[in-house]
Amino acid sequence: MLAPATSQLSSVSDELWVDGPNLVEQLVSDQQQLQTAVARFAEWHDRDVPELESHYRKLIPLEKPGPGEQFAFEVDVEACSGCKACVSACHSMNGLDDHETWRDVGNLVGGNEWDPIVQTITSACHHCAEPGCMDGCPVLAYDKDEVTGIVRHLDDQCIGCQYCVLKCPYDVPKYSESRGIVRKCDMCHERLSVGEAPACVQACPNEAIRIIKVDQDEVKSAATSHPDGFMAGTADYSYTIPTTRFLKAVTPADSSESKAPEFADVSRLRVEPSHFPLVVMLVLTQAAAGCFVAAQMAWLKGLEVVWLLAAGTALAGLGIQAAMLHLGRPMKAWRAFLGWRKSWLSREIISFGALVPMAIALSGLALLEMTAWSEWVPVAEWKLMSYGLPWLLVLAFASVWTSVMVYADTQRPFWSLPRTTFKFYGTILVLAGAAGLAATGYTPFMVLALVSLGVKLAAEWVFLHRRNQSRKGMLNQSAHLMWGPLRAVTAARFALAVMGAVLLPVQPWAGVACLVLSEGCERYLFFRAVVAWRMPGV
Amino acid sequence: MSGTIHLDPIRPVLREWDGPLTRDLVQSPGNFGLGKVPARWKPASVTKSICGFCSTGCSLKVHLDEAGQAINLSPDPAYPVNLGMACPKGWEALSPLAADDRATQPLLRNEVGELVPVKWVKAMVEFSRRFKAIQAQYGRESVAFISTGQIVSEEMAFLGALAKFGMGMLHGDGNTRQCMATAVTAYKESFGFDAPPYTYADFESSDVLVFIGANPCIAHPIMWQRVLRNPHQPEIIVVDPRKTETAMAATQHVGLAPKSDLTLMYGMARALYERGAVDREFIAAHTRDFAEFEQFVSGFDRQRVLKASGLDGAVFDRMVDTIAQGKRVSFWWTMGVNQGYEATRTAQAIINLALMTGNMGRPGTGANSITGQCNAMGSRLFSNTTSLMGGYQFTNPEHRAHVADILNIPEERIPDRNSLAYDQIIDGIESGKIRGLWVIATNTAHSWINQKRFRRLREKLEFLVVQDMFTTTDTAAMADLVLPAAGWGEKEGTFINSERRIGVVQQVSRAPGQALSDFRIFQLVAHYWGCEELFKAWKSPEAVFEILKKLSVGQPCDFSGLTGYDKLQKSGGTQWPYRRGDSSARERRLFEDGQFYHADGRARFIFEEPREAPEPTCDEYPFCLLTGRGSSSQWHTQTRTGKSDVLNKLIRREAYVEMNPLDAKRLGLESEAMVTVASRRGSMQARLVVTATVSPGQVFIPMHYVKTNQLTLSQFDPYSRQPSYKFCAIRICA
Repeated sequence: MLAPATSQLSSVSDELWVDGPNLVEQLVSDQQQLQTAVARFAEWHDRDVPELESHYRKLIPLEKPGPGEQFAFEVDVEACSGCKACVSACHSMNGLDDHETWRDVGNLVGGNEWDPIVQTITSACHHCAEPGCMDGCPVLAYDKDEVTGIVRHLDDQCIGCQYCVLKCPYDVPKYSESRGIVRKCDMCHERLSVGEAPACVQACPNEAIRIIKVDQDEVKSAATSHPDGFMAGTADYSYTIPTTRFLKAVTPADSSESKAPEFADVSRLRVEPSHFPLVVMLVLTQAAAGCFVAAQMAWLKGLEVVWLLAAGTALAGLGIQAAMLHLGRPMKAWRAFLGWRKSWLSREIISFGALVPMAIALSGLALLEMTAWSEWVPVAEWKLMSYGLPWLLVLAFASVWTSVMVYADTQRPFWSLPRTTFKFYGTILVLAGAAGLAATGYTPFMVLALVSLGVKLAAEWVFLHRRNQSRKGMLNQSAHLMWGPLRAVTAARFALAVMGAVLLPVQPWAGVACLVLSEGCERYLFFRAVVAWRMPGV
Repeated sequence: MSGTIHLDPIRPVLREWDGPLTRDLVQSPGNFGLGKVPARWKPASVTKSICGFCSTGCSLKVHLDEAGQAINLSPDPAYPVNLGMACPKGWEALSPLAADDRATQPLLRNEVGELVPVKWVKAMVEFSRRFKAIQAQYGRESVAFISTGQIVSEEMAFLGALAKFGMGMLHGDGNTRQCMATAVTAYKESFGFDAPPYTYADFESSDVLVFIGANPCIAHPIMWQRVLRNPHQPEIIVVDPRKTETAMAATQHVGLAPKSDLTLMYGMARALYERGAVDREFIAAHTRDFAEFEQFVSGFDRQRVLKASGLDGAVFDRMVDTIAQGKRVSFWWTMGVNQGYEATRTAQAIINLALMTGNMGRPGTGANSITGQCNAMGSRLFSNTTSLMGGYQFTNPEHRAHVADILNIPEERIPDRNSLAYDQIIDGIESGKIRGLWVIATNTAHSWINQKRFRRLREKLEFLVVQDMFTTTDTAAMADLVLPAAGWGEKEGTFINSERRIGVVQQVSRAPGQALSDFRIFQLVAHYWGCEELFKAWKSPEAVFEILKKLSVGQPCDFSGLTGYDKLQKSGGTQWPYRRGDSSARERRLFEDGQFYHADGRARFIFEEPREAPEPTCDEYPFCLLTGRGSSSQWHTQTRTGKSDVLNKLIRREAYVEMNPLDAKRLGLESEAMVTVASRRGSMQARLVVTATVSPGQVFIPMHYVKTNQLTLSQFDPYSRQPSYKFCAIRICA
């Protein structure tokens, strides 16, 4: 019986609530039942033929590529309406982690103030003819399929060094912190192998993405003859020779003379990851090389060298250890020699892997010479140093050279060969001078330290003036980053350098410490302020 | 490929081609017509459910495990709406369910002002006690509700009936006021009933499509898919101040000055008339008041229109010529029209164009409003807010008696007065007329125009109840009581999409903790309020569906021919009207017989002199602010889409403002500069994006960012009471 309206306006009477708890219990329990949908509506019968087959049949090749051919993505940029379903579909149909996407979208902007053109660019792995990821991988965790040309990543082979992330100029391989490995688009090769279309191809409402066969030689010659022919704003076409074709993407020829097409986010500042273990590794190994330089000079001057040698050995060893911390799966790192034919990282690992035992041997013998067991050392100290030190030095310089090449090989302008060479060998000289002075008190070491430091700082100061120029240039952007979000580190770099220079004559070891930290800041900026090649963003 | 393994000695020994990490990504045939699926998510069965974001109404195939729990989904290839496609929101529809800020138990604000968990019983007791106390002190009308276009029709109807017939409220409105009220009013006045006449097949049949204030590429990507399937090489005209994604894809972009649309439409009518593109026969047989209309638009000569709209004469002429020559012209509009201070007349100006050219009731024609939310159309019929449920009128005694009879409730339970509209309810809070508010599945504190005012007014509410999936929405955070609701996918019911198609939503996931479907919450409220007697028949969503069918009998929206969820599910959704014996064609449009819903069967030409924009730009606030959808991967206030990592990746997380390069140059601003955007009501920080897609003097900010509506102006269309989000004056400084 319904309570009269007037009583409803007063407070609720207790008897109405008697059933309440039971009702709540009942409703919460009903809410947890899931069987309705299954029992009444679910389809139980199996159907093997994919329902979308008729939709995508014309969007994938009927046959495997012939000799010299491979599969490639083709994107009709004008047909793309920018809905981004391809990204979500790739994510869901491949069962990726929550935050993981193998396909990305961005905008390319052309036209002029009165007639703008904004195009959505959807892209995944370009399954390059000469994949940078594959060439850089120290453990051969990439494979370019001989028949399809699909560049696959072997997840169980990966050691999580992330060098492919640096090498790929299209930001394709994505590192998973939780898995300790990189993963990337495999063009849904399992689907293609049974005549199903890749997720993105299936999901595009406008049929803007398809799989085509391309002639690898044709792509290579196109890339060589038109280095800027891939897409406005992207890396040199001939670097990795991407095979994706973007039909009707806006090119400089479509735009008014004053304005070339550019990424919509061309001015956006992005701070790159610090790769901190690599900062430590580079500074320590270069400090080690500096110690060896100082030892050589000291030897020639007839000064004490053992402690410099020992310090260098310890630093090199620590540096290698630090690098291990960068790996997602360090237990598998023993495979790192596999990629030596092409990978500078593999060569770096091999090279430092040889340097450290040699340094240990040399400094061990030198230390033994100082003890009661000196007669056990088979060679005289002078012979050891005269022959051993130069070879150690050669190997150290070669090892640092492999470090330089690791970064220069990424084609990032901020990491170009001259810039990286200057930075890395500059660090060797600064720290050689500082360590030599601290260990021996020999004044020319101070000159070496201060002059090389001065040259380095001057170059960096000049570089920072790029902050006054447009954010659109990649190098300018690095300067904007150092002057903007990374300003504190930039300030620390200069402050520590000045402190080091001032302390060096009076408190040499304190000076050395300041200079090592200062070089550490420089190297931190080297990683964080670099601007990577990529595809357009949103 | 296999042959090469033996040639490479390194492969088997030193390279791991298989292992646990590799197997994570292995696929296997999914069956059920799915093709390959991730092996670890291989479904035990699949079911279908209509997507819960926008009004397109796509069907999603939900992949279920043995327990019937959703593990993945993919678009439904067999459904006539989306044909196997979905936008990124649809693909990610399950993600928000797993968010960690889901409301799992009721929260009640304690003496020190903190929201603390309480049992349902306590929550319901407080709900009834506090609202009843307010009603006792200030009268029944002092408690109001704000409903939504996001819940199923059965829940909407339950809410409207419970609040008005059970709890004695008079005032209730929905967030649909923000999106569709204009179309409702325009259709009611012009056609005699709120009846979008089209079917999506019309996208494919037109030879000319005119989009006015609509950006389907971004807002309704799956409808745009249908446009691209049009085999007739159609002319596509986009009328929009911005060069939107759709404008880029169109054959003609008519970049008119903001809010010059009404003048432009009248000018088009005159120009079409001058070209003889008038269907005299249709006008004579099926319409009224054309002579007055003809007389009226004669004042809108080309010169006047070009001056007001800022258009190039050639652009205007080309558009009019195209429409005049079109054989099957369809007109489509969305929020660019609906959210304006003279929106109803603008929508009717579009309807007038279709009527006068005879583009009505034939394939590929129509004056077609594209709706916003997944169940805005259900709300229009059954929310019991603006109209009495079933498309009736509160003020009509016969209607009240009819509805009371069907619902089997005392007639005097049905209010004989109309509700206040959303903006008037807000005003009512300010004036003290409204003291208690119940907000269901909407985020007023973010989305309502001139947002700061609502936030201020919240202090005047003695009791604010928010019923939502999440505890963190801007509105839930300021509530006195939060009721934890199950979301889309955790309950069943029906949605009605933009083309009037009724489709079934399934429960495919367990709600977290103690969260209940809105339907069950309404059952609880009915119990604790002491009015459950009235809702004896409202046992389940499907039982309510039967009631809704009865309510629809004899109305233009009559769908009494439907037999139940099972049939509806199997038929691939059904468009209203659907009476017993109606054609079961999958695509049906209205007015094929030229009969409109006014008593005389004739459509009306309705028109009015355009007015000045309420807040013109000036020296102090020199820019016109446009707002709208920023990306296909965001939905409204992002309470759900913001929970998906994938969707978040596809947008700028930081608020941004788009400005023309000429303005940026003048102000000495570069892209990515952080700027302050200020109106007379508030200000926000945003990244500058320099782009010529906005014209000089205009800027655009997506509505998804929480601060955007601190800038907008409380201005409303006088007939639909829909807020005018699309125009206010702002200034920008570094």
